[in-house]
Amino acid sequence: MRRWFPNSEWVLLIALAFEIAVFSALGENFFSLGNFFEVVRLSVELGLLALALTPVIVTGGIDLSVGSMMGLAAVVFGAAWRDWRLPIPVAALAALVIGAIGGGMNALLIARWKIPAIIVTLGTFSLFRGIAEGITQGAVNYSGFPAGFLSLGQGHLWGVVPVQALIFALAFAGYAILLHRSAIGRTLYAIGFGESGARYAGIPVRRRLALVYLLSGLVSSCAAIIYVAHLGQAKSDAGTGYELAAITAVVLGGASVFGGRGTVWGTLFGLFSISVLQNGLRLAALPAEMTGVLTGAVLLVAIGLGQMRQKDAPAATLEETPVKNTQLAVLCATILVGSLIVAGTNAWLVHSIGAGASAPVASTTTSGHRPVVAMMPKAKGDPYFVSCRAGAEEAARDTGVELIWDGPTGLDPAKQNEVVEGWITRHVDAIAVSVENQAGISTVLRKARERGIKVVTWDADAAPDARDFFINQATPEGIGFALVDEAARLMGGKGEFAIVTGALSAANQNAWLVFIKQRLETKYPGMKLLTIRPSDDDRDKAFNETQTVMKVYPNVRLIMGISAPAVPGMAEAVRQSGRKDVFVMGLSLPNLNKKYVHDGVVQAVVLWNTRDLGYLTVYTAALLARGRLARGADSIEAGRLGKIEIRGDQVILGNPFIFNKQNIDQFDF
Amino acid sequence: MARWGRELSLVAVIAALSAVLAVTAPGFFTAANERDLAMASMPVLIVALGMTLIILTGQIDISVGSQFAIAGVLAGVLSKMGLPVALAAAGACLAGAAMGALNGALVAWARMPSIVVTLATMVALRDALRWVTQGAWVQDLPADFQWFGRSQRASELITAGSAALLAIAIAWSLDKVAAGRAVYATGSDANAARMAGINPSRVVFSVFTLTGALTGCAALFNAIRFNQIPANAGMGLELQAIAAVVVGGTAIAGGRGGIAGTLLGVVLLGMIGPALTFMGINAYWEKAIQGAIILVAVAVRRERNGS
Amino acid sequence: MNLLEASGIAKSYSGVRALKGVSFDLQAGEVHALVGENGAGKSTLIKIITGVVTPDSGTLSVAGEVVAQHDPATARSRGIAAVYQQPALFPDLTVAENIAFALESGGLWRTVNWKSRTRRAAELLERAGAAISPDRLAGSLSMPEQQIVEIAKAIGSGARILIFDEPTASLTDREVERLFRVIRDLRAQSAGIIYISHRLEEISALADRVTILRDGESVGTHAMAAVTRDDLIRMMVGREISAIFPKRDAPIGEVALETQALTCRTAGIRDVTLQLRAGEILGIAGLVGSGRTQLAETLFGVTPADGGEIRVRGEVVEIKSPADAICHRIGYVPEDRRRHGVVLDLPIAANVSLANLPVVCERGLVQRGREEALARGYVERLRIKAASIDDEAASLSGGNQQKVALARWLAIEPAVLILDEPTQGVDVGAKPEIHSFMVELAERGLAIIMISSELEEILGMSDRILVMRGGTIAGELPRSRATQQTILSLALGQAA
Repeated sequence: MRRWFPNSEWVLLIALAFEIAVFSALGENFFSLGNFFEVVRLSVELGLLALALTPVIVTGGIDLSVGSMMGLAAVVFGAAWRDWRLPIPVAALAALVIGAIGGGMNALLIARWKIPAIIVTLGTFSLFRGIAEGITQGAVNYSGFPAGFLSLGQGHLWGVVPVQALIFALAFAGYAILLHRSAIGRTLYAIGFGESGARYAGIPVRRRLALVYLLSGLVSSCAAIIYVAHLGQAKSDAGTGYELAAITAVVLGGASVFGGRGTVWGTLFGLFSISVLQNGLRLAALPAEMTGVLTGAVLLVAIGLGQMRQKDAPAATLEETPVKNTQLAVLCATILVGSLIVAGTNAWLVHSIGAGASAPVASTTTSGHRPVVAMMPKAKGDPYFVSCRAGAEEAARDTGVELIWDGPTGLDPAKQNEVVEGWITRHVDAIAVSVENQAGISTVLRKARERGIKVVTWDADAAPDARDFFINQATPEGIGFALVDEAARLMGGKGEFAIVTGALSAANQNAWLVFIKQRLETKYPGMKLLTIRPSDDDRDKAFNETQTVMKVYPNVRLIMGISAPAVPGMAEAVRQSGRKDVFVMGLSLPNLNKKYVHDGVVQAVVLWNTRDLGYLTVYTAALLARGRLARGADSIEAGRLGKIEIRGDQVILGNPFIFNKQNIDQFDF
Repeated sequence: MARWGRELSLVAVIAALSAVLAVTAPGFFTAANERDLAMASMPVLIVALGMTLIILTGQIDISVGSQFAIAGVLAGVLSKMGLPVALAAAGACLAGAAMGALNGALVAWARMPSIVVTLATMVALRDALRWVTQGAWVQDLPADFQWFGRSQRASELITAGSAALLAIAIAWSLDKVAAGRAVYATGSDANAARMAGINPSRVVFSVFTLTGALTGCAALFNAIRFNQIPANAGMGLELQAIAAVVVGGTAIAGGRGGIAGTLLGVVLLGMIGPALTFMGINAYWEKAIQGAIILVAVAVRRERNGS
Repeated sequence: MNLLEASGIAKSYSGVRALKGVSFDLQAGEVHALVGENGAGKSTLIKIITGVVTPDSGTLSVAGEVVAQHDPATARSRGIAAVYQQPALFPDLTVAENIAFALESGGLWRTVNWKSRTRRAAELLERAGAAISPDRLAGSLSMPEQQIVEIAKAIGSGARILIFDEPTASLTDREVERLFRVIRDLRAQSAGIIYISHRLEEISALADRVTILRDGESVGTHAMAAVTRDDLIRMMVGREISAIFPKRDAPIGEVALETQALTCRTAGIRDVTLQLRAGEILGIAGLVGSGRTQLAETLFGVTPADGGEIRVRGEVVEIKSPADAICHRIGYVPEDRRRHGVVLDLPIAANVSLANLPVVCERGLVQRGREEALARGYVERLRIKAASIDDEAASLSGGNQQKVALARWLAIEPAVLILDEPTQGVDVGAKPEIHSFMVELAERGLAIIMISSELEEILGMSDRILVMRGGTIAGELPRSRATQQTILSLALGQAA
């Protein structure tokens, strides 16, 4: 027993079994094998990274570069396939080679040159991501992969099991054998317990360390390939933030950061406890931010309890003493709590929906059941979307629907898929998504439609067959043209200007840039675009960049910002520089810029009424959910907005709106 | 001479980069640009002062970015509640100190590894802030908030002066005050430190708390440059601070290094972005260059780290 | 006046009684020597006096005042300073600062004066007998240099009670003379000095009184002038020397290992030429710091040689790492058992197989059955006392850990086995077991090198004895001509 589960992980198995039993009893709508596997599907990429990190941490090291390597491998894969026209398997090989090279770099610096792993991988964390951004200029998004390849990440085996689950199972088996059965694995633990002691036993320490870091790079690139197949796109931002989640999973699973302790089972359970927690919170429609707070708390409690249980703890050192069983108890508790939340919410939902929860529920919406509309922004924290939410809630009140507002806290296409999956499980009546990644989300939206859920997209569209309607405030073309036209108006059609964008890899901003450049070419040859600087949606960074731009290009006449938080930063920079000859305009929220507009620093803010957009979206979704809207209609009555035009499958809000000194005070968002 | 070896090599690199800039983009060296660069580096600088201490004791803190965001928002909220800006400032620093103390207590007395503790607090604090603010910025601040209610010049002088004072005070304490030497001793050999009558736990707790307070300070100095406070400030701040400290020569294992190196590290890393812009190089390579500099800096010093 | 008085001090470590009620006193203006074999309890007593360890029972008083709460800081403030064999310096700080830490006290917020620190350090180093620059980083000092810094610390702290634990282990004659001068000066200033050493002639020259510890008890305290060296040895050992070691009669076979002018600069080994035959037990004696362990580590590849050659069964071989040594069937049971001999957190079975995993593996995968069989075999053969082979090595006593370490190397089926302090810290019952086992192995044809600081062990077990000094071989003694005196005189560099 102790051999299989040195840290008593068997307790967790029991907890999981209990959870599955509870859910099955509550009805398959809420927890079925199908949904379980979908959760698994979503965890595979992260799981692969966690697996790769386990032996690294067992040897007492760490690898912060795994997420960044995903990004680099993804773009190498995409470039190999699209630009160099290599067949998919060869492109995959190229990605794996890059993974090996990156892992090899870590191995050289850590194993051979004995530089502490934390700082080496901090450096490669920046380097790998940086190279990915550099070669794609952040913007390039490889997509359009053949269906056969995509089935690797989106397909099913035997109808239920996601393909990548199999890959994960293989990787898991491989690592289990490596770490727990093989001679090499034994030596890894010895190294973790004490490098010099391992040396004295004749273990080739440097070779072993090099191996684990090399493997880590390889597995990261493997995860990248699956990620690309899963989402249907390869971008430089793949895997952002995954390294921290992976480390959390490994440490929660009982591994000690100082080495010598950790098992693949523990890592798996650590991964599960995070997923279950997230899933539970999502199904219970609790705010996504709670995940972070709870995960942090669980991590602290788990490790803290493990520490305090050590009696005879030598007061002498500040080094950690190994973490053991109590941690696993906390893990169980987490899973149980997560399950109880889910179970409790589900029980409540069963009651509120009424009897016979086994069939899709569309038909019962007309009889006093309050439709549930689930709405997702691209990023919850973005002020733009926050203002949309206000309108959404207003419409929810006006139409009498229940509104769920959830989504990733930052741009994260993989997370969007997860959230939608959760809603499908919950069987909401309508889903409204502002799409970050068109290719990947369409699959899951189609699935929702198959289950009878109404789907609309808003702000950014998915594939046309994946949704019923698209609430369009303006096309990227419309936005790009509007921005350039307004800039041209201010500049008199000639002169030099600069653009401050959000993140280099943000899809919609890149789409606007395409049309901006196009408009410049066709209509305003006299205007010259000097440079495009990224601000990462950070006001302070936009401020710094603008200051620099004004120095580097003293003749700049206008700065255009296409990220909502950036414009006030740009404005402040221009104001502080005292240069009255530089115009500031861009796409932003009126409230953020009111003062600047009144002071004449910002001339124009281009947007549309985001509140109205949110309002219209929910209103449309509510109409759909109640069956009062179908394709073919050419207009709808949208509450306080009055009559809104429908063009085909697009519900058009209106044109981009220019906020300026004259009208900005009329708006409050 | 050998004592200042690593700082000298950094100076050499900065000089080389400056030489290239002098030739390709002399506009870099105008007084206005230098002033802007200096102000832009203030947050990282002040945080890096604390980070130096933490790394000297052999620990690490990746939660400073989240602390920065919270302290900034808190300062704004306090100011809106009617507190004079000085008190709001104190509130920000205290909040930072409290968050730092939480980290410190868990590392020093619960003896948890600092990478795990600060990973947990980083995630939890950032998400807690998002939850509370729901992404909304703090706006409509009273008039005496921006620039402390004075002129921009005066406020910038206050900021730069404070940063300089802090740097000097900390550098001096590290060199000349027993408490500062205790930091080095703890990082060099915690056991020997205990034998010498130092309480390593208290030292570790103190450096985390101090760093939290410094982060709160940095957040405040940054916030008063504007008239509204975003909900997502400080992203990536921890990486910048750690990079500056490590590039500046402080050993990640603890016991060696100092403020002088950190200052040079801040200068070098702060130069890269603007230098690229001045030289017309695309922004897309900035991250890769930063990563490369970190790696080169530690690789070149591996002989000193010993085999 | 009694500077220090300890009475009825007892201390046990996980069941092993290190001290059983020892009484000891130190007067002002005397050098009081403390002698005893390894494991007699000397270091435990010292740790109690310096506050590192709290006794289970007994009282300690300093200058007539009973000490209730004792810790290193309190010890320092009461004027107790110790110079250990293993200096505890801050490697990243300068010598001057290291010294300053021992000397200065006061609030956390006092300022430090570097100039005066450096000056003071230079003075003290001078007095301690060395010309070490105070600005050097402590990590860059050699072991003898570090010891001198420790001595400087002790002198400088103005301590009234100074403890020297094997201080001359790695010093040259001149340095030893200087140290003795320092100690005599201190004595003249009414300090009390506790002096621990294996070197009986040193003690004769220096000490006023001597206390002999044996098996955790004090055998007696005598005026130095009143005892002879033989008396001391007899009291330390408590039994006739010849009785404890197993009789040997092994046939000596082929040359299993030889070296020719073997040199390793980093380890401080130079020009070592030796021959080792199958069936032979070659003892290597010498004082601490003479290079015995370094020689072993060079032979084993931990610090690979950079000059000379090694031949295994007649063939020249290159040993650049422990893995190479294992390839040539050389095994090494290291001195630092807890760090290098066993992996404390691994179970016994895993420890035993660690150096020879292929033997329990099938296609790279560990076969539990085979591993367990291997471990059980050794547990039986070596009579290792453990509840199960899945127990972690940390749960075993010192003696049993040593047996596990031994088992690990026996598992590679070595031709040459190097044992470094094989019975150090091993309980009294296990010691003879290990000895008889060594004899058994030799009889089976193994060639054994045994490094030991216990002269009786060397004399009792070895067929031949090599004495090392200063990193090279000072002399060789066949069993018949070897005595404690002859060994010691070679070790000290004096004529026999």
